Amino acid sequence: MYIIVEDDPSVADALESLLSGAGLPVRVFASAEEFIHSASPAPDDTMIVDLGLPGMSGGELVRHLEKAGATPKVIAISGKSSRTIARETEGLADVKILRKPPAADWLEAITA
Amino acid sequence: MGELEDRRTAVSEARFESLLDTAADGVIVIDETGRMLVFNKICEQLFGYTSQEAIGQNVSLIMPPEFSVSHDRFMNNYHRTGERRIIGIGREVSGMHRDGTVFPLELSVGEAKTAEGRQYIGVLRDLRSRRAVEQRVSQLQAQVVHMTRLSAMDEMGAAMAHELNQPLTALLLYLQAVARQVRACHADAKPPSDKMLDVLDKAVLEAERASHIVQRMRQMVEKRDPERATVDLREVVNEALDLSEFVAQGATVTIRRVFGMTPIQVDADATQIQQIILNLLRNALEVAKESEERWVKVSIGSDDRSAFVSVTDSGPGFSEDVGKSLFRTFSTTKKSGMGLGLAISRAIAQNHGGDLMADPGGNGQGATFTLMLPMHHSDEAEEDTWG
Repeated sequence: MYIIVEDDPSVADALESLLSGAGLPVRVFASAEEFIHSASPAPDDTMIVDLGLPGMSGGELVRHLEKAGATPKVIAISGKSSRTIARETEGLADVKILRKPPAADWLEAITA
Repeated sequence: MGELEDRRTAVSEARFESLLDTAADGVIVIDETGRMLVFNKICEQLFGYTSQEAIGQNVSLIMPPEFSVSHDRFMNNYHRTGERRIIGIGREVSGMHRDGTVFPLELSVGEAKTAEGRQYIGVLRDLRSRRAVEQRVSQLQAQVVHMTRLSAMDEMGAAMAHELNQPLTALLLYLQAVARQVRACHADAKPPSDKMLDVLDKAVLEAERASHIVQRMRQMVEKRDPERATVDLREVVNEALDLSEFVAQGATVTIRRVFGMTPIQVDADATQIQQIILNLLRNALEVAKESEERWVKVSIGSDDRSAFVSVTDSGPGFSEDVGKSLFRTFSTTKKSGMGLGLAISRAIAQNHGGDLMADPGGNGQGATFTLMLPMHHSDEAEEDTWG
Protein backbone atom coordinates (compact mmCIF):
# COMPACT_ATOMS: atom_id res chain seq x y z
CA MET A 1 0.00 0.00 0.00
CA TYR A 2 1.18 3.51 -0.81
CA ILE A 3 0.11 6.06 1.79
CA ILE A 4 0.16 9.75 0.88
CA VAL A 5 0.04 12.37 3.64
CA GLU A 6 -0.11 15.77 1.94
CA ASP A 7 -2.21 18.83 2.78
CA ASP A 8 -2.19 20.43 -0.69
CA PRO A 9 -5.17 18.77 -2.46
CA SER A 10 -3.72 19.23 -5.96
CA VAL A 11 -0.36 17.73 -5.09
CA ALA A 12 -2.10 14.84 -3.29
CA ASP A 13 -4.42 14.23 -6.25
CA ALA A 14 -1.57 14.38 -8.79
CA LEU A 15 0.50 11.96 -6.76
CA GLU A 16 -2.47 9.63 -6.50
CA SER A 17 -3.02 9.83 -10.28
CA LEU A 18 0.61 8.95 -10.89
CA LEU A 19 0.64 5.95 -8.54
CA SER A 20 -2.82 4.55 -9.21
CA GLY A 21 -2.31 5.11 -12.95
CA ALA A 22 0.58 2.66 -12.63
CA GLY A 23 -1.84 0.20 -10.99
CA LEU A 24 -0.55 0.69 -7.43
CA PRO A 25 -2.87 0.72 -4.38
CA VAL A 26 -3.04 4.21 -2.85
CA ARG A 27 -4.62 5.92 0.19
CA VAL A 28 -4.55 9.69 0.73
CA PHE A 29 -4.62 11.63 4.00
CA ALA A 30 -4.67 15.44 4.33
CA SER A 31 -2.92 15.60 7.72
CA ALA A 32 -0.76 13.59 10.10
CA GLU A 33 -3.57 13.56 12.65
CA GLU A 34 -6.08 12.17 10.15
CA PHE A 35 -3.68 9.37 9.27
CA ILE A 36 -2.89 8.46 12.91
CA HIS A 37 -6.59 8.32 13.81
CA SER A 38 -7.61 6.08 10.96
CA ALA A 39 -4.74 3.80 10.01
CA SER A 40 -1.51 2.21 11.10
CA PRO A 41 1.14 1.30 8.54
CA ALA A 42 2.28 -2.23 7.76
CA PRO A 43 6.05 -2.88 7.37
CA ASP A 44 5.76 -3.32 3.62
CA ASP A 45 3.82 -0.06 3.11
CA THR A 46 5.44 2.98 1.57
CA MET A 47 4.60 6.33 3.14
CA ILE A 48 4.96 9.55 1.18
CA VAL A 49 4.90 12.37 3.73
CA ASP A 50 4.97 16.10 3.16
CA LEU A 51 7.36 17.60 5.72
CA GLY A 52 5.49 20.92 5.89
CA LEU A 53 2.12 19.63 7.14
CA PRO A 54 0.06 22.00 9.26
CA GLY A 55 -0.49 20.79 12.83
CA MET A 56 1.75 17.78 13.41
CA SER A 57 4.58 18.16 10.90
CA GLY A 58 5.81 15.42 8.58
CA GLY A 59 8.99 15.04 10.62
CA GLU A 60 7.02 14.60 13.84
CA LEU A 61 4.79 12.02 12.16
CA VAL A 62 7.79 9.93 11.09
CA ARG A 63 9.26 10.19 14.61
CA HIS A 64 5.91 9.17 16.04
CA LEU A 65 5.83 6.09 13.79
CA GLU A 66 9.40 5.15 14.69
CA LYS A 67 8.56 5.37 18.38
CA ALA A 68 5.47 3.25 17.87
CA GLY A 69 7.70 0.61 16.30
CA ALA A 70 6.18 0.82 12.85
CA THR A 71 8.81 0.58 10.13
CA PRO A 72 7.28 1.38 6.77
CA LYS A 73 9.47 2.74 4.02
CA VAL A 74 9.28 6.54 4.30
CA ILE A 75 9.70 9.09 1.53
CA ALA A 76 9.61 12.71 2.64
CA ILE A 77 8.59 15.41 0.16
CA SER A 78 9.30 19.11 0.69
CA GLY A 79 9.55 22.38 -1.19
CA LYS A 80 11.75 24.01 1.43
CA SER A 81 15.45 24.83 1.36
CA SER A 82 17.95 22.01 1.89
CA ARG A 83 18.98 23.54 5.22
CA THR A 84 15.39 23.52 6.47
CA ILE A 85 14.92 19.96 5.25
CA ALA A 86 18.10 18.87 7.05
CA ARG A 87 16.82 20.45 10.27
CA GLU A 88 13.37 18.92 9.94
CA THR A 89 14.67 15.40 9.26
CA GLU A 90 17.45 15.50 11.85
CA GLY A 91 17.72 12.24 13.79
CA LEU A 92 15.43 10.31 11.47
CA ALA A 93 16.83 6.93 10.53
CA ASP A 94 16.41 6.28 6.87
CA VAL A 95 14.36 8.81 5.01
CA LYS A 96 14.49 9.36 1.30
CA ILE A 97 13.88 13.02 0.32
CA LEU A 98 12.06 14.15 -2.81
CA ARG A 99 12.10 17.89 -3.40
CA LYS A 100 9.26 19.93 -4.90
CA PRO A 101 8.96 20.67 -7.71
CA PRO A 102 10.03 17.25 -9.12
CA ALA A 103 13.28 17.22 -11.08
CA ALA A 104 12.86 13.58 -12.16
CA ASP A 105 10.21 10.89 -12.48
CA TRP A 106 8.72 10.46 -9.03
CA LEU A 107 7.12 7.09 -9.75
CA GLU A 108 10.53 5.57 -10.35
CA ALA A 109 11.91 7.30 -7.28
CA ILE A 110 9.04 6.13 -5.08
CA THR A 111 8.90 2.54 -6.27
CA ALA A 112 12.68 2.10 -6.48
CA MET B 1 4.04 125.38 -3.60
CA GLY B 2 3.18 123.77 -6.95
CA GLU B 3 6.86 123.24 -7.68
CA LEU B 4 7.41 121.52 -4.37
CA GLU B 5 4.42 119.28 -5.04
CA ASP B 6 5.83 118.34 -8.42
CA ARG B 7 9.23 117.56 -6.93
CA ARG B 8 7.67 115.42 -4.25
CA THR B 9 5.66 113.53 -6.85
CA ALA B 10 8.79 113.03 -8.96
CA VAL B 11 10.72 111.68 -5.96
CA SER B 12 7.97 109.34 -4.91
CA GLU B 13 7.57 108.12 -8.49
CA ALA B 14 11.30 107.42 -8.70
CA ARG B 15 11.13 105.54 -5.43
CA PHE B 16 8.15 103.58 -6.69
CA GLU B 17 10.00 102.70 -9.92
CA SER B 18 13.07 101.44 -8.11
CA LEU B 19 10.92 99.54 -5.65
CA LEU B 20 9.13 97.85 -8.54
CA ASP B 21 12.37 96.94 -10.23
CA THR B 22 13.90 95.42 -7.13
CA ALA B 23 10.76 93.40 -6.37
CA ALA B 24 11.25 89.65 -6.59
CA ASP B 25 7.81 89.22 -8.15
CA GLY B 26 6.38 90.49 -11.38
CA VAL B 27 4.21 93.58 -10.95
CA ILE B 28 1.69 94.86 -13.48
CA VAL B 29 -0.74 97.73 -13.10
CA ILE B 30 -3.69 97.99 -15.50
CA ASP B 31 -6.48 100.50 -15.89
CA GLU B 32 -10.19 99.78 -16.21
CA THR B 33 -9.88 98.92 -19.89
CA GLY B 34 -7.09 96.37 -19.30
CA ARG B 35 -4.33 98.67 -20.61
CA MET B 36 -0.97 98.10 -18.90
CA LEU B 37 0.42 101.13 -17.05
CA VAL B 38 3.27 99.47 -15.18
CA PHE B 39 5.38 96.49 -16.28
CA ASN B 40 8.39 95.89 -14.03
CA LYS B 41 11.80 94.25 -14.64
CA ILE B 42 10.72 90.81 -13.48
CA CYS B 43 7.81 90.96 -15.93
CA GLU B 44 10.29 91.72 -18.70
CA GLN B 45 12.10 88.47 -17.86
CA LEU B 46 8.89 86.51 -17.40
CA PHE B 47 7.23 87.52 -20.63
CA GLY B 48 10.06 88.66 -22.95
CA TYR B 49 8.70 92.17 -23.63
CA THR B 50 10.45 95.39 -22.56
CA SER B 51 8.37 97.71 -20.42
CA GLN B 52 8.28 100.22 -23.32
CA GLU B 53 6.76 97.53 -25.54
CA ALA B 54 4.25 96.37 -22.95
CA ILE B 55 3.03 99.64 -21.46
CA GLY B 56 -0.03 100.89 -23.26
CA GLN B 57 -0.96 97.47 -24.61
CA ASN B 58 -3.86 95.36 -23.37
CA VAL B 59 -2.86 92.84 -20.68
CA SER B 60 -4.13 90.04 -22.93
CA LEU B 61 -0.70 90.36 -24.59
CA ILE B 62 0.77 88.12 -21.87
CA MET B 63 -2.07 85.61 -21.63
CA PRO B 64 -2.72 82.49 -23.66
CA PRO B 65 -5.44 83.38 -26.24
CA GLU B 66 -8.10 81.20 -24.58
CA PHE B 67 -7.87 83.32 -21.41
CA SER B 68 -7.53 86.76 -22.96
CA VAL B 69 -11.11 86.61 -24.28
CA SER B 70 -12.59 85.74 -20.93
CA HIS B 71 -10.46 88.31 -19.13
CA ASP B 72 -12.28 91.22 -20.83
CA ARG B 73 -15.58 89.53 -19.97
CA PHE B 74 -14.57 89.11 -16.31
CA MET B 75 -13.47 92.74 -16.01
CA ASN B 76 -16.74 93.96 -17.52
CA ASN B 77 -18.64 91.66 -15.22
CA TYR B 78 -16.81 93.05 -12.19
CA HIS B 79 -17.47 96.63 -13.18
CA ARG B 80 -21.16 95.87 -13.63
CA THR B 81 -21.81 93.66 -10.60
CA GLY B 82 -18.91 94.35 -8.25
CA GLU B 83 -18.63 90.57 -7.82
CA ARG B 84 -15.04 89.69 -6.97
CA ARG B 85 -13.64 86.66 -8.67
CA ILE B 86 -9.95 87.25 -8.00
CA ILE B 87 -9.39 90.60 -6.31
CA GLY B 88 -7.99 90.07 -2.85
CA ILE B 89 -8.06 86.31 -3.36
CA GLY B 90 -5.29 85.30 -5.73
CA ARG B 91 -5.13 82.11 -7.74
CA GLU B 92 -3.08 80.04 -10.11
CA VAL B 93 -3.30 81.14 -13.75
CA SER B 94 -1.43 80.62 -17.00
CA GLY B 95 0.81 83.24 -18.59
CA MET B 96 2.30 83.30 -22.08
CA HIS B 97 5.83 84.37 -23.00
CA ARG B 98 6.52 86.31 -26.18
CA ASP B 99 7.82 83.09 -27.76
CA GLY B 100 4.48 81.36 -27.11
CA THR B 101 5.53 79.34 -24.05
CA VAL B 102 2.60 78.96 -21.65
CA PHE B 103 3.56 78.60 -17.97
CA PRO B 104 1.86 78.56 -14.53
CA LEU B 105 1.72 81.74 -12.48
CA GLU B 106 0.43 82.62 -9.07
CA LEU B 107 -1.52 85.87 -9.41
CA SER B 108 -2.76 88.16 -6.64
CA VAL B 109 -4.72 91.26 -7.56
CA GLY B 110 -5.31 94.45 -5.60
CA GLU B 111 -7.52 97.39 -6.54
CA ALA B 112 -6.78 101.12 -6.25
CA LYS B 113 -9.27 103.94 -6.81
CA THR B 114 -7.41 106.87 -8.42
CA ALA B 115 -8.34 110.17 -9.94
CA GLU B 116 -8.02 108.50 -13.35
CA GLY B 117 -10.43 105.73 -12.42
CA ARG B 118 -9.95 102.30 -11.01
CA GLN B 119 -6.59 100.59 -11.40
CA TYR B 120 -5.62 97.01 -10.68
CA ILE B 121 -2.27 95.87 -9.38
CA GLY B 122 -1.27 92.33 -10.19
CA VAL B 123 1.58 90.56 -8.45
CA LEU B 124 2.86 87.56 -10.39
CA ARG B 125 5.03 84.67 -9.29
CA ASP B 126 6.46 82.11 -11.66
CA LEU B 127 5.38 78.65 -10.47
CA ARG B 128 7.61 76.65 -12.78
CA SER B 129 10.43 76.05 -10.30
CA ARG B 130 7.95 75.02 -7.63
CA ARG B 131 6.33 72.70 -10.13
CA ALA B 132 9.67 71.14 -10.95
CA VAL B 133 10.32 70.51 -7.27
CA GLU B 134 6.87 68.97 -6.84
CA GLN B 135 7.46 66.73 -9.82
CA ARG B 136 10.83 65.66 -8.50
CA VAL B 137 9.34 64.84 -5.13
CA SER B 138 6.64 62.73 -6.68
CA GLN B 139 9.23 60.92 -8.84
CA LEU B 140 11.34 60.21 -5.77
CA GLN B 141 8.30 58.94 -3.99
CA ALA B 142 7.53 56.58 -6.84
CA GLN B 143 11.12 55.32 -6.63
CA VAL B 144 10.96 54.80 -2.91
CA VAL B 145 7.66 52.99 -3.25
CA HIS B 146 9.33 50.79 -5.82
CA MET B 147 12.19 50.10 -3.40
CA THR B 148 9.93 49.22 -0.50
CA ARG B 149 7.99 47.01 -2.83
CA LEU B 150 11.24 45.23 -3.70
CA SER B 151 12.20 44.77 -0.06
CA ALA B 152 8.70 43.47 0.60
CA MET B 153 9.45 41.06 -2.24
CA ASP B 154 12.48 39.77 -0.33
CA GLU B 155 10.25 38.88 2.57
CA MET B 156 7.68 37.43 0.24
CA GLY B 157 10.22 35.55 -1.85
CA ALA B 158 10.32 32.46 0.33
CA ALA B 159 6.55 32.36 0.71
CA MET B 160 6.08 32.82 -3.03
CA ALA B 161 8.58 30.09 -3.90
CA HIS B 162 6.64 27.77 -1.64
CA GLU B 163 3.37 28.79 -3.27
CA LEU B 164 4.75 28.17 -6.75
CA ASN B 165 6.15 24.84 -5.67
CA GLN B 166 2.73 23.33 -5.06
CA PRO B 167 1.14 23.92 -8.47
CA LEU B 168 4.39 23.10 -10.25
CA THR B 169 4.70 19.85 -8.34
CA ALA B 170 1.11 18.89 -9.09
CA LEU B 171 1.51 19.91 -12.73
CA LEU B 172 4.64 17.83 -13.25
CA LEU B 173 3.15 14.81 -11.50
CA TYR B 174 -0.02 14.98 -13.63
CA LEU B 175 2.13 15.18 -16.75
CA GLN B 176 4.28 12.27 -15.60
CA ALA B 177 1.13 10.26 -14.92
CA VAL B 178 -0.41 10.98 -18.30
CA ALA B 179 2.85 10.41 -20.17
CA ARG B 180 3.11 6.95 -18.63
CA GLN B 181 -0.45 6.12 -19.54
CA VAL B 182 -0.05 7.34 -23.11
CA ARG B 183 3.08 5.23 -23.48
CA ALA B 184 1.26 2.22 -22.06
CA CYS B 185 -1.68 2.69 -24.46
CA HIS B 186 0.73 3.07 -27.31
CA ALA B 187 2.48 -0.17 -26.43
CA ASP B 188 -0.87 -2.00 -26.33
CA ALA B 189 -2.07 -0.19 -29.50
CA LYS B 190 -5.10 1.14 -27.58
CA PRO B 191 -6.60 4.64 -28.00
CA PRO B 192 -6.01 7.13 -25.16
CA SER B 193 -8.77 7.03 -22.52
CA ASP B 194 -10.97 9.87 -21.22
CA LYS B 195 -9.19 9.52 -17.90
CA MET B 196 -6.04 10.87 -19.51
CA LEU B 197 -7.94 13.90 -20.74
CA ASP B 198 -9.17 14.50 -17.18
CA VAL B 199 -5.62 14.42 -15.91
CA LEU B 200 -4.52 16.80 -18.66
CA ASP B 201 -7.33 19.22 -17.72
CA LYS B 202 -6.14 19.15 -14.13
CA ALA B 203 -2.59 19.80 -15.30
CA VAL B 204 -3.78 22.89 -17.19
CA LEU B 205 -5.52 24.16 -14.03
CA GLU B 206 -2.31 23.79 -12.04
CA ALA B 207 -0.34 25.65 -14.69
CA GLU B 208 -2.91 28.46 -14.47
CA ARG B 209 -2.65 28.49 -10.69
CA ALA B 210 1.10 28.98 -11.02
CA SER B 211 0.76 31.73 -13.58
CA HIS B 212 -1.75 33.61 -11.42
CA ILE B 213 0.77 33.67 -8.61
CA VAL B 214 3.39 35.06 -10.98
CA GLN B 215 0.94 37.70 -12.24
CA ARG B 216 0.18 38.88 -8.73
CA MET B 217 3.89 39.07 -7.97
CA ARG B 218 4.46 41.07 -11.12
CA GLN B 219 1.78 43.57 -10.21
CA MET B 220 3.59 44.14 -6.96
CA VAL B 221 7.03 44.80 -8.42
CA GLU B 222 6.37 46.60 -11.67
CA LYS B 223 7.59 50.14 -11.47
CA ARG B 224 5.35 52.78 -12.93
CA ASP B 225 4.32 56.40 -12.53
CA PRO B 226 1.60 57.24 -10.05
CA GLU B 227 -1.79 56.71 -11.66
CA ARG B 228 -4.75 58.47 -10.13
CA ALA B 229 -8.22 57.10 -10.65
CA THR B 230 -11.53 57.21 -8.83
CA VAL B 231 -11.66 53.94 -6.93
CA ASP B 232 -13.73 52.27 -4.21
CA LEU B 233 -11.47 52.31 -1.17
CA ARG B 234 -13.06 49.10 0.11
CA GLU B 235 -11.99 47.19 -2.99
CA VAL B 236 -8.48 48.60 -2.88
CA VAL B 237 -8.06 47.62 0.78
CA ASN B 238 -9.69 44.23 0.27
CA GLU B 239 -7.20 43.37 -2.44
CA ALA B 240 -4.29 44.32 -0.21
CA LEU B 241 -5.69 42.19 2.62
CA ASP B 242 -6.22 39.23 0.29
CA LEU B 243 -2.65 39.52 -0.87
CA SER B 244 -1.37 39.74 2.67
CA GLU B 245 -3.39 36.73 3.81
CA PHE B 246 -2.19 34.85 0.79
CA VAL B 247 1.44 35.55 1.68
CA ALA B 248 0.94 34.86 5.38
CA GLN B 249 -0.87 31.58 4.82
CA GLY B 250 -0.93 29.44 7.90
CA ALA B 251 -0.27 32.45 10.12
CA THR B 252 -2.16 32.41 13.37
CA VAL B 253 -3.30 36.05 13.44
CA THR B 254 -6.92 36.71 12.51
CA ILE B 255 -7.61 39.69 10.24
CA ARG B 256 -11.04 41.22 10.93
CA ARG B 257 -12.53 43.37 8.22
CA VAL B 258 -15.02 46.01 9.31
CA PHE B 259 -16.39 47.45 6.06
CA GLY B 260 -19.68 49.21 5.30
CA MET B 261 -22.03 48.32 2.45
CA THR B 262 -21.71 51.53 0.44
CA PRO B 263 -18.80 52.26 -1.90
CA ILE B 264 -16.31 54.85 -0.66
CA GLN B 265 -14.95 56.73 -3.65
CA VAL B 266 -11.53 58.34 -3.49
CA ASP B 267 -9.14 59.68 -6.13
CA ALA B 268 -6.00 57.70 -5.60
CA ASP B 269 -3.25 55.53 -7.00
CA ALA B 270 -4.56 52.13 -5.94
CA THR B 271 -1.14 50.48 -5.86
CA GLN B 272 0.37 53.20 -3.66
CA ILE B 273 -2.57 53.00 -1.28
CA GLN B 274 -2.14 49.24 -1.14
CA GLN B 275 1.52 49.80 -0.33
CA ILE B 276 0.48 51.83 2.68
CA ILE B 277 -2.07 49.25 3.79
CA LEU B 278 0.40 46.38 3.35
CA ASN B 279 2.98 48.29 5.33
CA LEU B 280 0.55 49.03 8.17
CA LEU B 281 -0.65 45.45 8.09
CA ARG B 282 2.86 44.01 8.20
CA ASN B 283 3.62 46.08 11.29
CA ALA B 284 0.31 45.19 12.95
CA LEU B 285 0.69 41.45 12.25
CA GLU B 286 4.22 41.57 13.67
CA VAL B 287 2.88 43.04 16.92
CA ALA B 288 -0.30 40.93 17.07
CA LYS B 289 1.69 37.72 16.63
CA GLU B 290 3.31 38.32 20.03
CA SER B 291 0.05 39.24 21.76
CA GLU B 292 -2.40 36.99 23.53
CA GLU B 293 -5.49 37.58 21.41
CA ARG B 294 -3.73 37.65 18.03
CA TRP B 295 -5.99 39.73 15.85
CA VAL B 296 -5.71 42.73 13.55
CA LYS B 297 -8.76 44.81 12.79
CA VAL B 298 -9.05 46.77 9.53
CA SER B 299 -12.00 49.15 9.39
CA ILE B 300 -13.10 51.59 6.70
CA GLY B 301 -15.35 54.58 7.21
CA SER B 302 -16.02 58.06 5.87
CA ASP B 303 -17.62 61.40 6.54
CA ASP B 304 -18.57 64.14 4.04
CA ARG B 305 -15.01 65.16 3.35
CA SER B 306 -12.72 62.26 4.19
CA ALA B 307 -12.40 58.51 3.98
CA PHE B 308 -10.57 56.55 6.67
CA VAL B 309 -8.84 53.20 6.88
CA SER B 310 -7.84 52.19 10.40
CA VAL B 311 -5.56 49.30 11.28
CA THR B 312 -5.63 48.25 14.94
CA ASP B 313 -3.69 45.38 16.50
CA SER B 314 -4.23 43.34 19.64
CA GLY B 315 -0.81 44.31 21.00
CA PRO B 316 0.01 46.49 24.00
CA GLY B 317 0.35 49.81 22.12
CA PHE B 318 3.39 52.10 22.05
CA SER B 319 4.98 54.20 24.73
CA GLU B 320 4.51 57.92 24.20
CA ASP B 321 8.18 58.37 23.25
CA VAL B 322 8.05 55.73 20.56
CA GLY B 323 4.78 57.18 19.31
CA LYS B 324 6.37 60.59 18.85
CA SER B 325 9.35 59.38 16.84
CA LEU B 326 7.43 56.83 14.77
CA PHE B 327 7.31 58.85 11.60
CA ARG B 328 10.80 60.26 11.71
CA THR B 329 12.53 58.97 8.61
CA PHE B 330 15.48 56.67 9.26
CA SER B 331 15.38 57.36 13.00
CA THR B 332 13.69 54.06 13.67
CA THR B 333 14.91 51.77 16.40
CA LYS B 334 16.13 48.46 15.03
CA LYS B 335 13.61 46.74 17.22
CA SER B 336 10.52 48.24 15.65
CA GLY B 337 12.03 48.86 12.21
CA MET B 338 8.94 50.76 11.11
CA GLY B 339 10.10 54.36 10.78
CA LEU B 340 11.05 54.42 7.14
CA GLY B 341 7.96 52.57 5.99
CA LEU B 342 5.69 54.86 7.99
CA ALA B 343 7.43 58.02 6.80
CA ILE B 344 7.04 56.91 3.21
CA SER B 345 3.45 55.90 3.80
CA ARG B 346 2.68 59.29 5.29
CA ALA B 347 4.38 61.06 2.37
CA ILE B 348 2.25 59.08 -0.06
CA ALA B 349 -0.89 59.87 1.93
CA GLN B 350 -0.06 63.58 1.98
CA ASN B 351 0.70 63.53 -1.71
CA HIS B 352 -2.90 62.33 -2.11
CA GLY B 353 -4.14 65.28 -0.05
CA GLY B 354 -4.61 63.03 2.97
CA ASP B 355 -2.56 62.02 5.98
CA LEU B 356 -1.44 59.10 8.11
CA MET B 357 -2.01 59.31 11.85
CA ALA B 358 -0.97 57.12 14.75
CA ASP B 359 -2.82 56.52 18.00
CA PRO B 360 -0.25 54.82 20.25
CA GLY B 361 -2.89 53.05 22.37
CA GLY B 362 -1.60 51.61 25.65
CA ASN B 363 -3.42 50.54 28.84
CA GLY B 364 -4.61 47.35 27.24
CA GLN B 365 -5.33 49.10 23.92
CA GLY B 366 -3.40 48.22 20.79
CA ALA B 367 -1.99 50.89 18.49
CA THR B 368 -4.18 52.24 15.69
CA PHE B 369 -2.86 53.70 12.44
CA THR B 370 -5.36 55.66 10.40
CA LEU B 371 -4.96 56.55 6.74
CA MET B 372 -7.10 59.53 5.79
CA LEU B 373 -7.88 60.38 2.16
CA PRO B 374 -10.12 63.10 0.74
CA MET B 375 -13.43 61.82 -0.64
CA HIS B 376 -14.00 62.04 -4.38
CA HIS B 377 -16.33 64.94 -5.31
CA SER B 378 -17.77 64.71 -8.79
CA ASP B 379 -19.09 68.30 -8.87
CA GLU B 380 -15.66 69.81 -8.45
CA ALA B 381 -15.00 71.78 -11.64
CA GLU B 382 -12.23 74.32 -11.02
CA GLU B 383 -11.80 76.81 -13.82
CA ASP B 384 -8.27 77.86 -14.54
CA THR B 385 -8.83 81.41 -15.74
CA TRP B 386 -7.75 84.93 -14.98
CA GLY B 387 -11.27 85.93 -14.03
